[in-house]
Amino acid sequence: MTARNAPATRHPRLPRSTVLLAFLAIAETAFAHEQQGVPGGLASGFLHPLTGLDHLAAMVAVGLWGAQLGAPAIWILPITFPLVMAVGGVLGVLGIPLPIPEAVIALSALVLGGAVAARLRLPFAAAAAVVGVFAIFHGHAHGAELPKSANPLAYGVGFVVATGLLHLCGISIGTLSRSPAGGRLIQGLGASIAVLGCYFLVRNLAALP
Amino acid sequence: MRRRLNRGAFAAPLLLVAAQSADAHIVASRLGDFYAGALHPLTDLQDIVLWTALGLLAGSLGAARGRGLVLVLPLGLLLGFNVGLSFGSTWIAPLTNAGMMVLLGVLLAAGLRINAAALLAIGLVLALMRGVVNAGGVGTATDRVLFGAGLALSGYAFITLITALALTFRGSDTAPSRAWRRIAIRACGSWIAAIGLMVGGFALAS
Repeated sequence: MTARNAPATRHPRLPRSTVLLAFLAIAETAFAHEQQGVPGGLASGFLHPLTGLDHLAAMVAVGLWGAQLGAPAIWILPITFPLVMAVGGVLGVLGIPLPIPEAVIALSALVLGGAVAARLRLPFAAAAAVVGVFAIFHGHAHGAELPKSANPLAYGVGFVVATGLLHLCGISIGTLSRSPAGGRLIQGLGASIAVLGCYFLVRNLAALP
Repeated sequence: MRRRLNRGAFAAPLLLVAAQSADAHIVASRLGDFYAGALHPLTDLQDIVLWTALGLLAGSLGAARGRGLVLVLPLGLLLGFNVGLSFGSTWIAPLTNAGMMVLLGVLLAAGLRINAAALLAIGLVLALMRGVVNAGGVGTATDRVLFGAGLALSGYAFITLITALALTFRGSDTAPSRAWRRIAIRACGSWIAAIGLMVGGFALAS
């Protein structure tokens, strides 16, 4: 009798799928590169506007509304918004508080999303004022994080570039509004942003003391 | 044929005996200080942001107004570098750099068509400032001439490339289909001014 033919000792075995699931369940984030120096600052600044859903939705809504309003809003918006936002950023860096900033940011998503959904055509000055006020609050939230970052300049570069790209994204999607079907799609997107803003607003107001 | 093989068999060992180490990287031959000078500003975001802003401004104003910067920036860097070596490099306040970012960014964002003399004056001040700051990268064993030459050449290459890119991207003033490109350059200016504002705020706060 050869070894191959010998009766094998049977050990109880776990199914491979169970082992795989167990490994997946205990998985943790691997920090291969610590967020330090210029790369760390750039990464944290770039990701900051992208990881907050209310920020992200409001920035895209600004681009969508600009595209709906057409000239001059569509080209003045990407030029002036970062500057106004930076004013709020400076307030945040200097530690000057603004009233209920998180709730106002959520409100911005609600209002701007609502404006897109309703195809609201305000006079340019009024639209600029609405967007400007919200820009200060968004900038404040980002600016408050700047002193804690690995590299403040890199953080500033990352966050401004990310915000600008979000506007560009909104404006690009907004160009769909030239066709009737695209226009309805944009309005639907605006409505979704408004609902999201409403959710965040209720959550923030409920958390107020 | 056999004679050729004999010659080869004789020459090959001779060449092997005479072989020396190949300095593929001339860092070992002291030219490393040149590369250190050339790379020093490119590893600092302040230099990159400010030089980019200046190049974009020069490009947005057109070739005739921006051409002078190709000489002024490297010469100003050299002058500032020497000032920094003589008087130290720590007296340039971070707020000054932030202020320069805001100035360049606002000029770009507003689309102001400043004249060539004003552009050169701004370029010279910027080059002097950054030359002084970059002098801080010189160690005791660093060859100052090579470091300074590397810095100036880096400035020359950077400003020439960015200005040329901005000029090409912007296109001619008469092409209406390219209006969005000028807006894109102005939006970049707005981003630079916004960065300057926040960094200035941070400098004030700290």
